Amino acid sequence: MVIIGPRIIEAYVGEYASGKSEVAVNRALDLAETGRQVTLVDLDIVEPCYTLRPIKKELEQKGITVLAWETRDMVGLGETGNILKAENRWALRRTGDIILDIGYGVEGAKTLNLLEDAGSDPDLKVYAVVNIARPMTGSIAEIVQYIRELNRVDGLINNSHLGDDTDLEIVQEGVRVVGEAARILGIPVVATTAVVEFADRIGPVDGAGNPVRKLVRYMPRTLW
Amino acid sequence: MPEKPIQGEKRVFVTGNEVVAWAALAAGAEIMYGYPITPQNEIMHYWTRMIPKYGRRFLQTEDELSAGFTTVGGVLAGRRAFTATAGPGNTLMQEPISMAEAMRLPIVVVVQQRGGPSTATVIYSQQEVTLTTLGGNGEGLRVVYSTATHQELFDYTIKSFNTAWKYRFPTFVLGDGYQAKMRESLTFYDPAERGIEMVPTDAYVGRPGMPGVDRPPKHMRNTYNMEEELYEVLQGYLADFAKAAPEIAEHETFDTEDADLVIISHGVVSRACKMAVRDLREQGYKVGYFRPITLRPMPEKELQEVAGKAKQLLVVESAQGQLARLVKEVIYGSTAEMLSLFKPGVGITSEEVIARVKEIKG
Amino acid sequence: MTVQPAMPKCWRVETKPHKFCPGCGHGLVLKALGQAIDELGIQDKVVFGCDIGCSLLSWDFFNMDTVQTHHGRTNPVITGMKRANSDIIGVAYMGDGGGYAIGAQHLVSSATRNERITAILVNNTQYGMTGGQMAPTTMPGQKTETSPYGRDAETTGSPTQGPEMVAAIAPEGAYVARGSVANMKQLKGYIKKALENQMAGNGFSFVEALSLCPTNWRTNAKDTWKFLEEDMYKYFKVGELRVPGPREKEGQ
Repeated sequence: MVIIGPRIIEAYVGEYASGKSEVAVNRALDLAETGRQVTLVDLDIVEPCYTLRPIKKELEQKGITVLAWETRDMVGLGETGNILKAENRWALRRTGDIILDIGYGVEGAKTLNLLEDAGSDPDLKVYAVVNIARPMTGSIAEIVQYIRELNRVDGLINNSHLGDDTDLEIVQEGVRVVGEAARILGIPVVATTAVVEFADRIGPVDGAGNPVRKLVRYMPRTLW
Repeated sequence: MPEKPIQGEKRVFVTGNEVVAWAALAAGAEIMYGYPITPQNEIMHYWTRMIPKYGRRFLQTEDELSAGFTTVGGVLAGRRAFTATAGPGNTLMQEPISMAEAMRLPIVVVVQQRGGPSTATVIYSQQEVTLTTLGGNGEGLRVVYSTATHQELFDYTIKSFNTAWKYRFPTFVLGDGYQAKMRESLTFYDPAERGIEMVPTDAYVGRPGMPGVDRPPKHMRNTYNMEEELYEVLQGYLADFAKAAPEIAEHETFDTEDADLVIISHGVVSRACKMAVRDLREQGYKVGYFRPITLRPMPEKELQEVAGKAKQLLVVESAQGQLARLVKEVIYGSTAEMLSLFKPGVGITSEEVIARVKEIKG
Repeated sequence: MTVQPAMPKCWRVETKPHKFCPGCGHGLVLKALGQAIDELGIQDKVVFGCDIGCSLLSWDFFNMDTVQTHHGRTNPVITGMKRANSDIIGVAYMGDGGGYAIGAQHLVSSATRNERITAILVNNTQYGMTGGQMAPTTMPGQKTETSPYGRDAETTGSPTQGPEMVAAIAPEGAYVARGSVANMKQLKGYIKKALENQMAGNGFSFVEALSLCPTNWRTNAKDTWKFLEEDMYKYFKVGELRVPGPREKEGQ
């Protein structure tokens, strides 16, 4: 018997290229695998044509609903094209679980303001994705400062990695650094995320006892 | 004294545009001038975010003409100054770059190529090769580095400031929209700790002392009265460029010794081509690889050597023969057959390169 | 009393819904323009030019001949057209970046030459399409991607007062106004007068429309209107600055 718990509404925010989309995509797919109804929403408004668009079809075949631009919808003229898809604005009114992939920007986290009900949805959790290999969130002090500048963050995700050059060391160092930043901020570390190879080596929980989420890398395919 | 942006070495995971901003910081660039255009915007976004901490400056200008001319002004004032642009912005910038050529001003310009002609796409191309190497109403007295990885983007952005200030020719880092947005790991470093000495800058104007009394006044111009006068100036410039060219030119090559077909590409496309050459070698094809890292000046001697040995040269680029024209000029007289895989404004995969080679080889 | 149809007759139905973000002001400005064109019955005479930036998303918006030009260059393209064929009613449609930054010299020169064209400039205080950078119209303290610590007027200047500038330099016969999407009836009236002024051959006609960009302001519906009516109105005064003919007087 599949037990479907309460509605899960999670928004993934964070620094440019911190891995928000990867973490959000994997989270959505993991939830769908347990039989839940999931909608994944692309809210990157700085670079709308660089994010989920190329893998939308593939994700939908895996059983989730994806609210993102499709190539044929893009105007394809000049600049990046129209930015916010109208139906995304009403995403929180949908039934089932909703995973929001929020783009970056100097006030990136404020993007949530564009969603109807974002201020009042009782189930909404905002998680900041942190990769300590990102130069502006490389130290405890920098992470704390960065998170404090965001409007609201309910938890941190340690997504420390170096792309193809990832090793166990960077993931473990992330556990320590992100954990310490979370302690100072008084918010939990929701999970450590790592590609399957490292997730398997770490086990179901990381050194600090946080759950480990396995990542399958979809995003490298979104460029070419 | 503001702290150094990078202490020691650090493995990081970033996008190409961020790499440029960090490399410019590490190189001691003092001021950036720029105007919004995709896909280079994040160079400005990150530069403006980081500079208060490191005491550097930024001016957002009213357009790319102005961004280019203010960069010229910054260099005249003796500052390590740079700008970044793409596509239609690169077109506009040819006017200030032409002035920099005429007056031997060491401006640094980062170009993240997008589709053309005109506004076209914001995404990617290698269609700004002709414009960047030979644009303006002159003789192409400029240096152009074409990068392929984030590490190179970092290395050559730093190097471009030194090349510019050492030889006093406008210097370009030619990237593209894919490199701009792509994420990969690389090592950030402080150039000094790697033994890279930054070539000192000096002011053309505004030096201390009373002009005409303590020092001669600086009188600079780019206009000449007579043909002979211009001719004489250009002869000097062209001789300087010819002398500097072999020192500046860089390339990368492998497996050409016994190759009867050599693939030639530059920039991000070389990633696919190198992969293709390795795969084809494993399958028994006698293929080699050559990549000019500098597109201006070209690595002439090395390319001629390769063309002298190979039976066929396959030029692969995301443009309709812009690199091929540069190659042909260098290897004029060679009997090697010229073949092509041109996809203007579109990315090229290793599978496509392999398929093209197999089509050629039958 | 007639009820205004929801969609102006000169809009192209096949390209609707339009491509602007939800809550964008462009749709409203183009509605005011469409209504003015309908009322004047000039759909077959107008050639519409749009710029680079979000304005380019209007390239197939109307059942009218349309040219999408280069960034900042819509004024000269429409000027060239009008000079070559005076039967055309030329409309140049652009954003604040296109008109006040990269194309500022063209705006100034079109105004000083009193070109018989109608320029409509949409002011949303930043570059929307490239991801929200500082524009000439960005207000002091406003955070954008290239003013991440808020616009510093000391080092980057104050918001461009476009209509005031055009009003100061245009010869007699020019029409200059600033409207707002918060007052659609008035905005349509200004645009209509700007078109009539061109048709009468009086001179350059310029309307700046204060607009909305919830996407890059990152505002909900309520705060979007507050941004326009409270913050923008502090810097940008709505009204007519130049009205030609016997009625011509400053600040009418």
